[in-house]
Formats: sequence, C-alpha cells, structure tokens
Amino acid sequence: MSFPKPQATLRSATGIPTGRLAVWWLIASEVVIFGGLLGSYVMHRLGHPEWADAAVHTNTWIGAFNTFVLLTSSFTAVLAHQAAEAGDGKKAAKLLVLTMGGAVTFVLVKASEWTYEISHGYTITSNMFWSFYYTAAGLHALHVIAGGIIMGFIALDAYRGRELQRVELIGIYWHFVDVIWIFLFPLLYIAK
Amino acid sequence: MSDNHHVNYKKIYFWLLGLLVVSVAGPFIGIGWVTLVTAFGIALIKANLVIQNFMHLRWEKQLAKWVLLSSLILMALFVAGVAPDVMNHEGNNWENLAAQAAVERGIGDDHGEGGEAPDGGTAVVAAESGVFNPGGQYNLICALCHGTAGDGTGVGGAAFDPSPANFTDPVFWETRDDESIKTAIRDGGPAVGVSANMAPWGALFDDAQLDEMVEYVKTFRPQGQ
Repeated sequence: MSFPKPQATLRSATGIPTGRLAVWWLIASEVVIFGGLLGSYVMHRLGHPEWADAAVHTNTWIGAFNTFVLLTSSFTAVLAHQAAEAGDGKKAAKLLVLTMGGAVTFVLVKASEWTYEISHGYTITSNMFWSFYYTAAGLHALHVIAGGIIMGFIALDAYRGRELQRVELIGIYWHFVDVIWIFLFPLLYIAK
Repeated sequence: MSDNHHVNYKKIYFWLLGLLVVSVAGPFIGIGWVTLVTAFGIALIKANLVIQNFMHLRWEKQLAKWVLLSSLILMALFVAGVAPDVMNHEGNNWENLAAQAAVERGIGDDHGEGGEAPDGGTAVVAAESGVFNPGGQYNLICALCHGTAGDGTGVGGAAFDPSPANFTDPVFWETRDDESIKTAIRDGGPAVGVSANMAPWGALFDDAQLDEMVEYVKTFRPQGQ
C-alpha cells in the first residue's frame, strides 16, 4: 500500500511545519481543558478551607517520585529529538523507548497509589477534594497513557529511519504532559 | 527547525531536579508563604524551563506563541468570570447555604459519607462509617421514579408502562410482603414478576441495609393496612 505524503509533512504555509502547528493547536485546546479543571479546583479550594483535612492524606513522596519520573522522561524525549535532528533514527527510537519506560513507571506508581487510597476509603465520591483529585490526576494519566502509545508507533518508524520529524512532535506533546504534572504536583501534594 | 540551539539539555534537567528538591523541602520550613512560593513559584519556573528549552518555544515562530496565549487568556477569562461566585459564599443579595454548611461541617461529613480518617490508616468506607440513612438513599435512588412521597409520581418513571409502584396505594400492600419488597430492591422487578423497569440495586446495599430500605418503604404504607 502506498499513500501520498500527508500535507503536514510537506507544507509550511505559516513558517511553522503544519504538523508542528497542529501540535501547538492541540496543546492550546488542552490548556483550556486542564486550565478550566485546575482553575475550578483552585477556586473551590480557596473557598473551602476544610479541604485541607483531606489534602493532608495525599502522599507527597509518591507525588515527588512521579515528578522525578516525568522530568526524566522529558529529558530523554528532548534527547530523542536531538538525535532525530541529527538523522540518527535508531538512537532516537531507543531514547523514545526510554521515555515510554518513564510513562509506564508513572502509570504503575499511580495505580499502586490509587489502590492504596481507594482501599482506605478515599474514593472519587468521598467528597469534593477527592473528586477533583481523581478527576485531575486521572485525566492527566490518560494523557500519559495516550502519549506512551503514540510514542511506540513513532519509535517503530524512527528505528527504520522514517518520519523523523514526528519525534519532535511527540516530544512537544510529552513536555506539555510534563508541564501539567508540574502544576498538579504542588496543587494536590504540597499545598496542604 | 534545524536544531542548533546550543541548549545544554543536561544542565536544564539538573536544574529541574534541583528545583523539585526545593519544592518538596519548602513545607518542612513550616512558614505558610514560603510553602506557597516554593510550591507554585517554583512550579512556574520549572514549567517555563521545560516550555522554553524542551518544547523550544523560545525559537518558535510568533504564531505559535499567539495560539497558546489566546487559550491562556480564554482560561483566565473563565476563572475571573466565575471566581466571585465560587470563592465567596455570600454576597449582597445572596447566600450559598450549601457551601457555608460544608465549611461548617468540615470535610468529614461532606456528602454524608467518608469521614475524618484517623491516622494510622484505619479503613473509612461508607458502609463502615456506622450511619446508614435509608431515607437519604431512598431520595437519592428510588425517589426518581417512585417519588419522594412514595406515590409513584417521580419524573423518571413518568413514561413507564406500567407506572412505578405507588407505595401509598392500599392495593399495592395486598400483594406484597417484606420479603418480596426486599427481593425486588435487590434483584429487580422481574425477580418478583413485575416490570423490568425496576432495576436491581443489590450491589449498593448489604443485607441489613436492604432490611432498612424495606422498613423505609413501609413508612409510605397507609395507616390501618
């Protein structure tokens, strides 16, 4: 089967390659989604001092460890981009696989953290704090999972030296997921 | 983008890790405003480092920055627009009684379950919190179809044929006993030969709670029946 090259690969009407511009638009829409959610959380939190009683039960060390995992995976993602720019698809693919390892670690840590919390009675319906906690972190975790899966496809292509420009695109998305967590971490784990 | 930005990625990465340590250490100092700065000030710095150096926004065309800025402005408009209502619990001509009550009660009783978890990890689940409120459960689950007065006129069941059971009707009580009501709640209408529109709710209640639900339904029974 052969398909014509997608427009995103060939064209650059704005000075930004169209694929990359699309990623910026995607991120702009995500800013509104996460911004609305986190903004609502902050407003409710400030209006409800009693939520501090619930926030005290989140585990700062687990949150900090996951922050470390995501920062590290962002580092490997940007190195993958660097390798792709240099035309080294194999190296880019390996670094993307490392980044996926970060995604898997993050999700596994999150799963055990949630298992512990849910088994201790802190569920999404316990009260408004926990509702926000599971909704915000859950939406973020879905982005981690989606990013990890897409990265797998891109790594396969990159290993064969194809579509190396996509390494940058998944990288930009991945850094954005990292940035969201950078804000979720103090909101849910530190500000008690 | 031909990538000759001469960014030392490793250096940025170590900066990020250093800042992470600071933001975790912040609360140990125990001063409120210091924690705010180390938590959110540092989050802003970390996010900026990632956005500029890893996402390469510094070298990106102006257009991308405008795209992102426009959605940030939209978000700020949303927050500014609803903040006065969400963050205040009373104004000149209004009061948010529910929010005031929630603050008053504290987090433990919010939504009637959960509860302040004692330290040491004792389980706090709704069923173990000791207070099962059959009337509350009835209003939450059953009243949608059976009506808060038990007369079968809830909006959820308006289109059902046959209509939802009317617990205030003496005829209803001629053909029912405790056991059949309990079975209907637990296993649904078909289990007792009535409409399948009566769904099974057994997953929500244990046996003792089912008995309490039956007792509550019986409060609708007309006197003398």
